[in-house]
Amino acid sequence: MVRFEDVALRYGTGPDVLRRVSFHLEPGSFHFMAGPSGAGKSSLLSLIYLATRPSEGNLRLFGRDVATLARRDAALMRRQIGVVFQDFRLLNHLTALENVALPLKVGGQRNEKVRRHVAELLAWVGLAEHLDSYPPTLSGGQKQRVAIARAVVGRPRLLLADEPTGNVDDRMAVRLLYLFEELNKLGTTIVIATHNESLVARFEHPVLRMGEGDVRIERARPPGAARPGEGSAA
Amino acid sequence: MRARHGDVPLDRDASGRYLPWLVAVMVYLAGLALVCAMIMNRAVAHWEQGLTGQLTIQVPRDEAAHPARAAPAKLERLIEMLRRTPGVRDAQEMTPDEIGRLLEPWLGTAARSANLPVPALIAVTLESRAEIDMDALAARVAEAMPGAVLDDHQAWIGRLRDLARSVQLVAALVVALVGGCAVMIVVFATRMGLSVHGHVIELLHLIGALDSYVARQFQAQALKLALRGGVFGLLAAVATVVLVERTLAGTKTMILPDISIRPLEISLLALLPVIIALIAMLTARLTVLRTLGRMP
Repeated sequence: MVRFEDVALRYGTGPDVLRRVSFHLEPGSFHFMAGPSGAGKSSLLSLIYLATRPSEGNLRLFGRDVATLARRDAALMRRQIGVVFQDFRLLNHLTALENVALPLKVGGQRNEKVRRHVAELLAWVGLAEHLDSYPPTLSGGQKQRVAIARAVVGRPRLLLADEPTGNVDDRMAVRLLYLFEELNKLGTTIVIATHNESLVARFEHPVLRMGEGDVRIERARPPGAARPGEGSAA
Repeated sequence: MRARHGDVPLDRDASGRYLPWLVAVMVYLAGLALVCAMIMNRAVAHWEQGLTGQLTIQVPRDEAAHPARAAPAKLERLIEMLRRTPGVRDAQEMTPDEIGRLLEPWLGTAARSANLPVPALIAVTLESRAEIDMDALAARVAEAMPGAVLDDHQAWIGRLRDLARSVQLVAALVVALVGGCAVMIVVFATRMGLSVHGHVIELLHLIGALDSYVARQFQAQALKLALRGGVFGLLAAVATVVLVERTLAGTKTMILPDISIRPLEISLLALLPVIIALIAMLTARLTVLRTLGRMP
């Protein structure tokens, strides 16, 4: 699904943000991505959702080398990836419903069924009363839920979420993670970047531990056991 | 499901305010230029039609015998000779009243009553499709009446054709310039839109939009604005022509062409805003595709 082989990333002539990162995410897996601020979590995610390309190394998505992807193919590949951005990136001139429906519209779907489906999804994340609200009128938590709904509405094969629970209370955070788990059970590969270690501890999923520009994988915690803190080296 | 706004909020851009006005001015100018070309074309066709199959012979006055007119006997012989010429249907000496009417557009109504020292004129009507050797006929006319001049109007028609061609050329130039300006304005407005809405376009790309999807947003906006401005400009141009036509209606003379616009010409003019709008749409699309295509 996602394979990094000695991938490095730097912006312009700056220092390496990621250094020789290697790991592999199996289809249908669920990973948290944890690490301190500035460790490169967002940069790593941006490589996976094709916003940036590796400066060095080889990155393969869905079995294809991203370095050789044509512009059109990259766009079509992005339709299989749902992203929850840390800063939400909602379009302020569109309603919550229109924002969530955008991936479907971009994919060529536009009918009443779409509206019903999107409305149901927004109701599920607790925004049934805000279908026609514009993002500037929504709270941070509400915007975040709209962003999550937009990321999952197209049933992506891969879901990337950058701090998706940063602006919601614990109850909603857990509820959203259950939503991600439901999607995971349906086959969606999930990567959730978060600095909320207590939330990570509540779920039994492996962790991509970021630090100093590299990545190591901590295996899933066995039920009742403490997190071991080791994994495959980057 | 129908969004109240496009995905890229172009309807809130400054270009939405100024583009229709610029296109309106351009279509107005192009419309007037085309109307001028059409009127000129029609006038030349009208004048040419009126002069085809006609010859005029100017006969100098016989100052010694008849100060007011040419020698009658010689004139009669010349007219007889002309009538016998193969290809000539008729030849008539023009009356002073007819000559006065010819001069009226230049000299006013006084030309009819004044005893002006003008030469006698013989109006010669040719058979349709008559093939006459004009040089030979001119020589025979000069032989029959020394000093008489044969005028087949070709020089006058030629000058009119040159004038019409010049007007058409200028009109084509104006239309081409307008098209060029439209392209430049739309390129500028589109690039500005791409820059202003870069974050929206980036998001659309990140959720899987193709460049053509983004281009459709821009081309639809360019088409709408250019069509709106173009229709307004065209209406203003037609209104101007109608105003000029009404102003000149009271001073209609043989020299001034018919200023009115015919239905066929109106339908041709109606294509102008459509063509400009299509140019704007295509320009916006190509600009977006080209600009986005350069991105990594």
